[in-house]
Amino acid sequence: MGKILRRVMMIGGAITPPNIPMDWTWRQMAAEAFWNALQDAGVPVKDVDLVACNYNDRAIADSSPGAQIADALGILPKPVIPIANACAGNGIASYTAWNAIASGRCDVVVSLGFARSDNYDAMEAMNSQGNYVDFDYMMGLTHINYGAMRDSYYRRKYNVPLEAAGHWAYWCNWYARRNPLAASYSKPMPVLEELCADTPEAERDRQATNRGGVASAMVFVGEDVARKYTDKPVFFDVAYAFRPPYIGNFFHYPVESMREYDMGELPGLMVAAREAYQIAGIKKEDINVVQVHDLTAYEGMMALEALGLCEIGRAKDYVLSGGMTLESKCPVNTYGGGPAFGHGSAGSDFQAGVLENYWQILGKCGERQVKEARVGVNTSYGTHHSLDVVGVVQKGW
Amino acid sequence: MSEQFTDPFVRWDTFSSALWYRTRAARYRLEGTRCTACGEKFFPPRTGLICPACHARAMEPYPCAQSGEIVAVALDDLGFPAVGYGDYMPRIQAIVRLDDGIHLMVDIMQVADPSEVRPGARVKMVLRKHKREDTGAWVYGYGFVLDKGE
Repeated sequence: MGKILRRVMMIGGAITPPNIPMDWTWRQMAAEAFWNALQDAGVPVKDVDLVACNYNDRAIADSSPGAQIADALGILPKPVIPIANACAGNGIASYTAWNAIASGRCDVVVSLGFARSDNYDAMEAMNSQGNYVDFDYMMGLTHINYGAMRDSYYRRKYNVPLEAAGHWAYWCNWYARRNPLAASYSKPMPVLEELCADTPEAERDRQATNRGGVASAMVFVGEDVARKYTDKPVFFDVAYAFRPPYIGNFFHYPVESMREYDMGELPGLMVAAREAYQIAGIKKEDINVVQVHDLTAYEGMMALEALGLCEIGRAKDYVLSGGMTLESKCPVNTYGGGPAFGHGSAGSDFQAGVLENYWQILGKCGERQVKEARVGVNTSYGTHHSLDVVGVVQKGW
Repeated sequence: MSEQFTDPFVRWDTFSSALWYRTRAARYRLEGTRCTACGEKFFPPRTGLICPACHARAMEPYPCAQSGEIVAVALDDLGFPAVGYGDYMPRIQAIVRLDDGIHLMVDIMQVADPSEVRPGARVKMVLRKHKREDTGAWVYGYGFVLDKGE
């Protein structure tokens, strides 16, 4: 690792609410999140040195999205770094922002993401939205199939009961009813016993709900310039790691950090967590609020294990003993998680977790507020964990 | 397809014959690669790529084992019609560990009793029709069936 010249601080952010108007273009969505984040941070557009932007609107934006995004945000001729790496690409966008600030090259950087998921056309064909393109996706095996296979394997390997998954979904929904930004905010609260049932309907309810089109943005500055904008900045750090994109290679892939694991664990997330904790100067015992990117309840439990909050295969015990609740030493998914906040893909899957932890540390979370939140960690992943990201926010000075 | 709407369902694919041609050896006969420096075996093939184990760039073709056993199973009752996999539902999919240790995610074909597709069951490779490419030609490739030793 190289020399880090200064700490990076987060001073604001924004995310679009669920059910944004159908007639909004992706440019309008991006501008909305960008504008609202700058307003939240008290930063004028002219102060922005760089934008790193994750997107998944391949059909309209591939080949030259940078200039289109810069134009939409009104920051021309300043640079935009376009990033396309599936749902967790915002982790790479924020990593890019972090590097630009930590190196001293930029003072103010915005990490942006948008997903206008109804923008498909035939050019979608060759994108790698599912797995290893040539031998999984092209042969009809998608990341959805991977998810079902992984859950089946994880449940069997670690004897995880349906009740643990049901409790996971229940508490995601409980928090979402207290978060106006969640997709399920105004919907009836599900019944715990029904979420724990062995039925296709319950299985569906234990999985992520869709948010539709979404955009989000976070504003980062160098520690030495943070006071110019706010007296309540928080420290931000991030790390990410890749895993082989072919699902068969999840078994005994011949590198040291992955050889001993298979589809029942998330070694990429373990690598990212180690680096993120090191850069942030924290230990796992310091963490007192966690948000994970969970398209299914089982995947959420696997993430807790990879973060080191539970032993491998034991997150079921953490969940069933009340570990997700506000009374826990480390509440989980206070934003609502995949099952209730909703899947935002490139638009929010990483940033929604960072923003929730940021607001938790600032004490802005109302009924879902964690007492004395000081260190928040969040995870996100792309496709089938070929990309895993960990973000850390900590109370500032 | 309705007689009123005779155009085919819009598929996302612009899959080219050239791409299918490039992957033919792996699809037809499970040809992977082996690192001549450290001996690690890989599927999909890493022809021309760098070995993640020893960082040499010296791959040679390697014929993967064509039988093995199931390690995980899942049922797919949705398919993926947008890329040509909407027929023959439900599909039974599995992670298969070949006898040489390589793992694949595959369709299990010709299953009379789904309960027989379970971890530990023996399977063997077959060549199957996958889908039609945009030229109308059939794409063939590997699938697996239960191996009952018959």
